[in-house]
Amino acid sequence: MSVRVVAIINQKGGVGKTTTSTNLTHALAKKGYKVTVIDLDPQGHLAVSFGVTSPQINGVDAVMLDEKNIEQQVIAARDNLQLIVAGPRLQEIEQLTDGGAQRGDLLRKALHENLQDQDFVFVDCPPSSGVLVANALFAADEVLIPMTSDFLALQGLSHLVATLKRFESALKKKYKISLVMSRYVTTRRISKEVLNTMLKHFPNQVLATVIREASVLAECPSFGKTILEYRPGSRSARDFRDLANAFLEGKVM
Amino acid sequence: MTTKNKDSLIGFDPLAWINDDDKPPDQEETLVEQAVDNASVDKPENEVLIAEVSNQISEVSEFIDNSKILLENTLNISTVAELHSQLVQALQGNECLEIDAANVNSIDTASLQLFVVLKQEALKLNKDIIFDFPSDKFIEAAKLLGIDNMLGVDQAAAGFF
Repeated sequence: MSVRVVAIINQKGGVGKTTTSTNLTHALAKKGYKVTVIDLDPQGHLAVSFGVTSPQINGVDAVMLDEKNIEQQVIAARDNLQLIVAGPRLQEIEQLTDGGAQRGDLLRKALHENLQDQDFVFVDCPPSSGVLVANALFAADEVLIPMTSDFLALQGLSHLVATLKRFESALKKKYKISLVMSRYVTTRRISKEVLNTMLKHFPNQVLATVIREASVLAECPSFGKTILEYRPGSRSARDFRDLANAFLEGKVM
Repeated sequence: MTTKNKDSLIGFDPLAWINDDDKPPDQEETLVEQAVDNASVDKPENEVLIAEVSNQISEVSEFIDNSKILLENTLNISTVAELHSQLVQALQGNECLEIDAANVNSIDTASLQLFVVLKQEALKLNKDIIFDFPSDKFIEAAKLLGIDNMLGVDQAAAGFF
């Protein structure tokens, strides 16, 4: 079976990219899938969420600067779950101006014929639309878009879709696009209206499980634990276990 | 294009271009202007879209609200019978029942007793009942009766939300 490379992407901040990256990947790993997750955000929050806090460890930055092979950079984060941290020089890559289109193709080349024993490689993207996101989109075949249920997130999604269409046109490929409602507040009417708008434009692409807003999800990164470790019996842990099933089965609204 | 419902909380639909011409808008102002124009004109095709969106709303509500109960602002002896039948029916059809208690600003002992019995019943059936976003009034009333822990709305549990 070939590796599925999935970019978790949304250039808007605060929509739940890292929360989704952390907890979805752990939920998949706990189901027995072999998962590698790459932190492509120079802030390095994904690593912190897994309890890896040393800022000096080099990671995907060294890979993209052609100093290391990607398989040398993996850290065993949990059973079945490997992490490749951002590394302190990732921001340099975001600011690269030399190298033309090649600078967008660094991650895809690094992944080529590597990590072949994995079922999934997830890429946690930064909240931007620069060189790093371009690398994620060159490398990925699938994109998973976490969305919050507010108007500005819809506006951001419009820009993101435009970006994806440009990449599809330039790279002559069609992404498998999935969306996940994150930080969902069931009691707000606007939440349902935003969801309806998404369903209208992305039929059969919104995953059937919504991730509801919960304070525990904000708490667990400070303990370096996923929600499945921090509060395994909580509603949020259930949400992510359900999301993993929806993702695997392609179960949509 | 806009969301067509005048009561909508979304002023215009920034994703409308996806279906319209598959090309992203060059300038956001143009999109906004078109949205305002469309909103102000009572077009027949808008009515069709309103119907479509309404259908989607009911479909989505069905999906989202399956096994979810939204409590009213005031829960007292006059509403308890109806609530009882609603909860019993919901419990029969679901393994997990989520009761949204965010709007509760007045609750009496009859309603709280009903929740206690429901919890006990769920426990026997190996089912789960969760109180989502309990309001301060709900938590306060449950505490007064000493059942906040049993209902899972004590402060420690509330942090889990």
